[in-house]
Amino acid sequence: MLSQVKNHHREFMEGKSLPVRESRLIEMNGVSKAYEVAAGEFLALKEVNMRVDKGEFVAVVGKSGSGKSTLINMITGIDNPTSGEVFVASTPVHTLNQEQLAIWRGKNVGIVFQFFQLLPTLTVAENVVLPMDFCNMYSPRERRERAIALLNKVGIAEQADKLPAALSGGEQQRAAIARALANDPPLLVADEPTGNLDSHTSDAVIQLFANLVKEGKTVVMVTHERDLKQYFTRTITLSDGEVVTDHGGKNG
Amino acid sequence: MVSPRWKKLWRDLQAAQGRMIMMVIAIAVSILGVGIMLGAYTILMREVSRNYLGTNPASAYLELDQVDDSVVEAVKQQPGIADAEATSWVLARVEVRPNEWRPLLLFVIKDFNELHVNKFLPEAGAWPPPVQTILLERDALKYINGNIGDVINVQNPNGQKQGILISGSVHDPGLAPAWQGETAYGYVTPETLAWLGEGSTLHILKVVVKDQSQGRATIEATVSNLAQWLKAQGYTVGEIRVPPPLLHPHQTQLDTVLLTLLTFTLMALALSAILIATIVSAMLAQQVRQIGIMKAIGARSVQITGLYLGLIAFLGMAAVLIGLPLGVMAGRGFARMIAENMNLTLYSEAIPVWAYVVQVMMGTLVPLLVAFGPLQRTTRVTVRETLNDYGTTRESFGSRGLDGWLGKIRSIDNTLILALRNTFRRRGRLIMTLGLLAAAGGMFMTGININTSWNQMIVNAVAIRHYDLEIQLNSPQTEEKVLATIASIPGVQKVESWDLMPAALSRPDGLEMVRTYPDGGHGNLSLRSAPPESNFVESVVLSGRWLKADDTDGAVLNHMATGFFPNVKVGDIISLTVNERTVTFHVVGIVRQNMIEPTIYTTPNKFAEATGLPIQSINGVRISLTDHDAETVSSMTGKIERVLVANNIGLKAVISETMLENATNGHIYIFIYALFSISVVMAVVGALGMMSNMGTSVIERTREFGVMRAIGAKSHTVLRNVISEGLFIGLMSWVIAIVISLPFSLGIGYMIGNLSFMVPLSLVISPMALVIWLVVIALGSITASAYPAWQASRLTIRETLSYV
Repeated sequence: MLSQVKNHHREFMEGKSLPVRESRLIEMNGVSKAYEVAAGEFLALKEVNMRVDKGEFVAVVGKSGSGKSTLINMITGIDNPTSGEVFVASTPVHTLNQEQLAIWRGKNVGIVFQFFQLLPTLTVAENVVLPMDFCNMYSPRERRERAIALLNKVGIAEQADKLPAALSGGEQQRAAIARALANDPPLLVADEPTGNLDSHTSDAVIQLFANLVKEGKTVVMVTHERDLKQYFTRTITLSDGEVVTDHGGKNG
Repeated sequence: MVSPRWKKLWRDLQAAQGRMIMMVIAIAVSILGVGIMLGAYTILMREVSRNYLGTNPASAYLELDQVDDSVVEAVKQQPGIADAEATSWVLARVEVRPNEWRPLLLFVIKDFNELHVNKFLPEAGAWPPPVQTILLERDALKYINGNIGDVINVQNPNGQKQGILISGSVHDPGLAPAWQGETAYGYVTPETLAWLGEGSTLHILKVVVKDQSQGRATIEATVSNLAQWLKAQGYTVGEIRVPPPLLHPHQTQLDTVLLTLLTFTLMALALSAILIATIVSAMLAQQVRQIGIMKAIGARSVQITGLYLGLIAFLGMAAVLIGLPLGVMAGRGFARMIAENMNLTLYSEAIPVWAYVVQVMMGTLVPLLVAFGPLQRTTRVTVRETLNDYGTTRESFGSRGLDGWLGKIRSIDNTLILALRNTFRRRGRLIMTLGLLAAAGGMFMTGININTSWNQMIVNAVAIRHYDLEIQLNSPQTEEKVLATIASIPGVQKVESWDLMPAALSRPDGLEMVRTYPDGGHGNLSLRSAPPESNFVESVVLSGRWLKADDTDGAVLNHMATGFFPNVKVGDIISLTVNERTVTFHVVGIVRQNMIEPTIYTTPNKFAEATGLPIQSINGVRISLTDHDAETVSSMTGKIERVLVANNIGLKAVISETMLENATNGHIYIFIYALFSISVVMAVVGALGMMSNMGTSVIERTREFGVMRAIGAKSHTVLRNVISEGLFIGLMSWVIAIVISLPFSLGIGYMIGNLSFMVPLSLVISPMALVIWLVVIALGSITASAYPAWQASRLTIRETLSYV
C-alpha cells in the first residue's frame, strides 16, 4: 500500500496527470502546511496527495500530532495550505478567500466537531436552521420543517426545542450532524466526532454516518477508534504529516 | 419569523445579562459625563450672554457735576451714541450684624419704570420702591441675611446712619454676585437718597455706544468725543468708566469654567471612546469561538459583522436611552447651580440639537466605529484560528523581552508570579485598561491638586500680609489724629497710613478713563502711598527694588498692574491720571503680590504731589492687631469704627483679611467644584472599565482555570490569582495617573492662576489625592476582579473545560 501511495506521489511530481473521474470529490495535490512556533517552523503536513471519491466513508487515523486535523482542515477550508492544491468537487479551495470559503463551505461541506460546538443560546432546531439562514437556502418557512426532519433523521426530533445544554453528549453530536446536513452538502467532514462519547453512543453516531454514506454522502472522519473500521470504506493513516498507508479505497 | 442568528443575539444578551448591563451602564455613564459638561456648557454659554446683554449694559459711565434730562436727551443725539440715561451711585455701608458693617453700593434710579440702560428686573415686593425704602439685589438680600420687610441700618459716606425698610428685591444680572464681591447692592430713588443724607442730584451719565461690538478702542474714541463735547457745553467731566465691552464682570471666571468644561468634555469623549473600545473588544473576545463556529457552518464576514454591529448598536441605543436623559437633567442641574452661584437667571434650559447629536453618536457611532476594526480582524482570521482561540493563545506569553524578564522573577508567591505574568498576556487590552484608569485617575488627582494649589496660594497670599484690617476713610483726615486715635485703642498693635486713590492711564485728551464696572471692583487700577519702611506686606521683587524713603518720583508696580502697561520695565516712565491730574512716575521696581488688585505704590510725598492732597492728611490706614483670630478681628473692627466715628472720622470701607479671602475663594469655588465633580464621573468610568476588563480576562481563561483546578488548585487560589492581577493593573495605572496628573495640574493651574491673578498656580502634588486614588483604585480593582473570579471559581471543572 505504501508503495502505491509513493507511486501516486511520484507520478504527480513528474507532471503525469491522473485520470479525472467524474466520481471524484476531493483531490489534494502536494499539500503542505507549516506553522510558526516558538521553536521555529513546524511542518504539520508534508506534500500530501490524496483523492476521495463520492460515496466513500474515509477514516483518517494516526497518532496525536500526526496531522489528521490539519488534513481535514485543508479539505473544509478551515485552514489554508502553505503550498499545494485542494480541490473539492472541482472547486479550488486553496484559492478561495475567507469570504468565498464561508459561502462555499456553507453549501458544500457539513462539519462535525469533537466538542459538538453547538451555539449554546440557540435551541437544537435553531442551531440546525442557522446554516440555512446564513446561506439563504430554503424559504424561511421550509427551514424549520427541514430542521425537524433532519433531527428526526438523527433520532432526536423530540429534543428540537431544547437548548444544547439540556442534551446528552450523544444527542448533542446528533444535533451537530443534523446541522451539518442542513444545506444538504455532498461532503461531511468530522473531526473525532466520537472522541467525547461513550462506546455505545459512539457506535450509534458512526452508524448514523454510515447510513448517510449509503444515502450517497461522502464522509471524511478523523478518528482514533480503530475498532470501528468495519464501517469505513477506506482508512488513511498519517504519521508525521505524511500518508503512510491507504487501505480499502478505490484509489488504493 | 425571526431569523435564528438574531435569536442568538438576543439570547446572548440574556445569557450575559450582567456583562451586557454593565456595558450599557458604562456607555451610559460616558454619555452622562459628556452630557453634563456639554449641557452645562451650551446652556451657560448662551444664558450668560443673554443675562448680561439683556440688561442693555452701558458702554461707558461718565461722572459729571450733574446729569439732568436735557443733557441726557442732547447726548442721545451725539454721533455714535445709541442710548443714554442718568443715574448715580454711592458707596454706603450696611449693618449685617450689630456693629458689623459691609459695603453697600446704592444705585440711584430716577424712574424705575423707564429704565432702559443697565436694566434690572423686579423679583419680589414693591416696584418701584416707595420713598424712604430700598430694593435690594436678590443675591445681596441673602448676603446680608435680610428679608423684604426688614429695616436695615445704612450708613452714608458721611457717617450718617439711617434705618431703611427693604421694600422689595430685584435681579441685576449685570453685577457680580454680592457674596463673591463682598458688597451688597441697593436701589433707591433720588428722594430716598436725599433722605439718607446725600444729595439727590444725579451725576453719572450712562451711555451705550452704537458700535460697541467693535471693541474698546471704538468705545473710547466715541466716549472721548462725547466728553469733549460735554466739556464744551460747560460740564465738568470726572472719571469715565469703560468696562470691558459686552462682557459680564465675571466673564473671565465664567470663561475659565466654560473652557474647563469644554476641555473636560473633550477628555470625557476620549475617555468614553477608550472605555467603549475596551468593552466592545472584550465582548468580541468572548465571542471569538462562536464566530468561528458560525463561519464553519457558512456564515460570511458581512453577516457576522452585521450581527455584532447590530448588537452593539442595540446596546448603544439602550445606553443612550439611559444616559441621554440623565445627562440632560444633570447638565441642566449643573448649569442651574453655576447660574445660581453667579446670580444669573436661566431663561431657557434648552440644549442645542447638536449637543444631543453628539451624545447619541457617543452612544452609537463611537461603539460601532471602535468595534468595526476588531470585528473585521476577528472575521478575517481563519476558522481554525478562531476555533483554537482560548483567549490567550494568540499573543502567546514568552515571545517578548518583557516576558523573559517577568519569567525570571522568583522568590515570591507562585500565585503572585502567575498573576503578574497574566497581566501582560493581552497587551492591547492592558494598554487600553491602563489608559482608561490612568486618565480617570489623572483627572481626579488634577482636581484635588488644583484645589490644594489654590488653597496654598491663598494661604501664602495671606501669610505675606501682616495686617488684619484696612480702613478707607470718607475724606482725607489729619494723619496724626487718625493714627493716634487708632493706636490708642487696646488690642491695636500697629497702624500705618496706606492712602489709596483710583488711577487711570493718562491720555492725550486728558480724560480720566478707567476700565472698571459700576462696582469699581473689577478692572480697576489704584495708586497707593506706601511707607517705604513698612513690613505690612512682603512682596516678591520680580525686578528692580522696593520703594526707598528718598525716592522722589519712584513707583513700584505689582504684577497685576503690569497688565495696564504692556512690556513695562524698571527705568520706564509711566503716566497716570489721578484725581483729575496727570502725573508721571519713574518705575523702580516690579513685585509679585498674589490676591492684591492692580496697584502702583509710591512714597507718601509723591502720593501727595500726585493727588494734590495735603501731605499731612491721609485717606486710608492698615492696622495690625495683637490677636489675629476671626472673632477678635470682627469685634475689633466694630470697636475701631465706633472710636473713629466718635472722633468725627467717617469711614468709607472696612476690609478685613477674612472678607478678602472669602471674596477670592468665592471667585473660584465653582471651578473647583466643577473640576471635582468631573473627577468623580471619571473615577466611575474608570472603575467600570476595570470591571469590564477583568470580567473578560476571567471569561477568556475559564478553561485555564479548569486546568488549574484539575491539577490541584483550590477555588480560592483561582480567586487570589485574578484579584492579584486586578491589583497589579490598578497599581500600574495609579503610577501612570500620577505622571499624567503632573502636566494636567501644571496646565490647568497655569490657566486658572493667570486668569485669576496673572500668576500660574504652582504645581502641587496633593498627598491626599495620591492616597484617595490609591484606595479607590485598590478597592475598585479588588471589587472589579473578585466578582468574575468568584463566578469562575464556582464552575465545575467539567463546565470550565467544555466552555464554548
